[in-house]
Amino acid sequence: MTRIVRKDAIDWKQYDPGKFYDELISSPGHARAVARGIVSYLQTLTEKHLQNRQQAADLAIKEMGISFTVYSEGENIDRSWPMDIIPRVIPITEWRRLEAGLVQRLTALNMFIDDVYHKQRIIKDKVFPAEIINSSKDFFKQCIDAKPKYGVWAHICGSDLVRDSDGTVYVLEDNLRVPSGVSYMLENRAVTKRVLPQLFRKHSILPVDDYPSQLFDMLTSLSPRHSRSPEVVVMTPGIYNSAYFEHSYLAQRMGAELVMGSDLVVGDDDCVYMKTIKGLERVDVIYRRVNDDFIDPEAFRPDSCLGTPGLMRAWRAGKVGLANAPGAGVADDKVVYTFVPAIIKYYLDEDPIIPNVPSFLCVDEKQRKHVLANLDKMVVKPANESGGYGMLVGPVSTKAERAKFADLIEKNPRNYMAQPALNLSTAPTLCNGRIEPRHLDLRPFILQGKHHYVTAGGLTRVALRKGSLVVNSSQGGGSKDTWVVDTEAK
Amino acid sequence: MLSRVAKRLYWMARQIERTENTARLMLVQHHMVLDLPASIRPGWDLMIEVLGARVAFDTLGVKPTEKNIIAFLFGSRDNPSSLLSSLAAARENIRTTREVLPTETWERINSLYLSVAQRGTRGLPGSIRHKVLNDIVHRCQQITGMLAGSMNNDAAYQFIRIGRNLERADMSTRIIDTASARLMGDREEILPYRNVLWVSVLKSLSAYQMYRLSVRRNVNPEDVLHFLLDSKIFPRALAHTLNEIDTSLGLLPRNKEALAAIASVKQALDEADPAMLKNATLHTFIDDMQLMLDDIHNAINHTWFDPEAGK
Repeated sequence: MTRIVRKDAIDWKQYDPGKFYDELISSPGHARAVARGIVSYLQTLTEKHLQNRQQAADLAIKEMGISFTVYSEGENIDRSWPMDIIPRVIPITEWRRLEAGLVQRLTALNMFIDDVYHKQRIIKDKVFPAEIINSSKDFFKQCIDAKPKYGVWAHICGSDLVRDSDGTVYVLEDNLRVPSGVSYMLENRAVTKRVLPQLFRKHSILPVDDYPSQLFDMLTSLSPRHSRSPEVVVMTPGIYNSAYFEHSYLAQRMGAELVMGSDLVVGDDDCVYMKTIKGLERVDVIYRRVNDDFIDPEAFRPDSCLGTPGLMRAWRAGKVGLANAPGAGVADDKVVYTFVPAIIKYYLDEDPIIPNVPSFLCVDEKQRKHVLANLDKMVVKPANESGGYGMLVGPVSTKAERAKFADLIEKNPRNYMAQPALNLSTAPTLCNGRIEPRHLDLRPFILQGKHHYVTAGGLTRVALRKGSLVVNSSQGGGSKDTWVVDTEAK
Repeated sequence: MLSRVAKRLYWMARQIERTENTARLMLVQHHMVLDLPASIRPGWDLMIEVLGARVAFDTLGVKPTEKNIIAFLFGSRDNPSSLLSSLAAARENIRTTREVLPTETWERINSLYLSVAQRGTRGLPGSIRHKVLNDIVHRCQQITGMLAGSMNNDAAYQFIRIGRNLERADMSTRIIDTASARLMGDREEILPYRNVLWVSVLKSLSAYQMYRLSVRRNVNPEDVLHFLLDSKIFPRALAHTLNEIDTSLGLLPRNKEALAAIASVKQALDEADPAMLKNATLHTFIDDMQLMLDDIHNAINHTWFDPEAGK
């Protein structure tokens, strides 16, 4: 059967990802098996059609109120969430392997955190250097000997995956503090269903919708009380936080109260209560989206007014579940990251399923020399910053920027690690009415409580500027709906 | 439901109601100024009295000209009850309770706030005054109607209804108080215009048409007072607002103290005879009413919004 191809349809032969691995197109004019449905559908459209769909998506996003907050020019602005309508696809066979790798990684990281706050076997066995823990900003004495349920500290993890030009997928970093983005993953799917419903008929795609109920189940499994319906709340720093949309969204989807620190009190019985119109009501589990050092002015920063005095006391006494547990950030450190393969080997006696990006520790003299000599080919990251801040992207940096970083590294080598700049994979993206390759990454979300759960796919973030590798939404990044496609299903 | 959320919804409702009432009051004043001879024309100064903003205005140290007063009532951030201040506060309250309100509420309040903020203190020239104020009244009514028409009638909605009605009760008593101080005296120059003036009192509370339908006599001070205080069917009459509050309070948990407070206001109102309420006695009576309305607010505040205060 011949397919009717419009004369003015998109010409995929013009689309050339060059030396990069493209997620949808293997070479000009040839779609990967997993993307054939999408590409053949897009072939029936002109770029004008596609742009109309993009406008429909932008409008839907505005109407649905999907936004994120940026702080600029002294004001907080709600910006519409940027989403490109061409989905990113992953074959199910590859996904199953990645999923297993993510579970393996989080399991080992949780064993590591639990060990670090108890016997520190991994240090005694000389697999992990003590000075890295001792100098870590995220190792909290207040957490030593605490016993969170199941020995799990990081319940919600967002790991960033990237693909290099040879097709290998690496873990770029693990976000174990308060990873965000999952609501956008859910909303991206909802928007795609609205504006490109025809596409779904051509593929068998794994659903993502069950995340809020999986999250809720995981959170209830942390309840200290054996109650049928434990009181779960989402704790937000408030409307000025960049992820407030997500806090409110998840609370709504789980039917949980959205609380601020001032809504909670810790009683003399060490239990946590929220102030309701019926009086004080006991809270069992807090999904806190407030950073460690702000959650409890009694235990951490006394000047914080975002938290609740006594929260740490309640948590240590086992009267409330906190997700993620305070102190979990100790494993979310870009220097600790370099040890994750060793950590997996040590606790699970397995080889890592997903490799780390080769990394150089600036604290090691030999490695530091290598980094300083090759700054123009490296990405240098501070140990504990997020959101893409404070980074040097060597290949696109100026001489002055490199000199500044060389100086920073010499002054505080513990605070920096470096990785060779990867050739991040690309996917077709609609840019000003034309389809062009743009670099992207993938953030799946992994849950661990009593059980594990991994989202089907995750949030794909895409750098909308040509040639850019920075995908953060606060710095001009966009996103894509992400499809795990069951290629065997009919 | 969280105390903080209940408190914000209550205040949001009050602030939207206050915006509507203030805009309407300014609208009526604007029209009355056009109708009356200069000698008895009530000045814009009167608005400051009615809204209890004397101190805030005097602190500014500007001349009480029409232009200055309108700027003060409309877009001043120094006036905590200006249209702009009320809308800014309502917007902030909606922004932090979005998860319990219909989605469109945020968009509506946001665009209303932005349109008032844009005009700011530039003033309201006569040519556009009617249009701008009228538009604000309509947009507030739209939000109130949307909440009434699309929210579950749960605790969240009860707090909104209580806030709205308490604000109405407050505004109705303020207007009655000021009007009576000005109009009840037998000042000769007023007599020919008494009718116009009392009609404007009714219009300030959008009560004129409903008064006509319900009273079916000429507009006279006794009947107007009776209508605005005792009508059980007019939504801005004191008796009606009290009934609404009473019903809503009845649906909330731990309502004993607040119910007691409302019961005493209702009783005081029942026992008052509007025919006897003249000049000084009316003023004292309204003063008492206002104090009792404060008691209701205080009971609500410490029962539901600040539970620790009760411990």
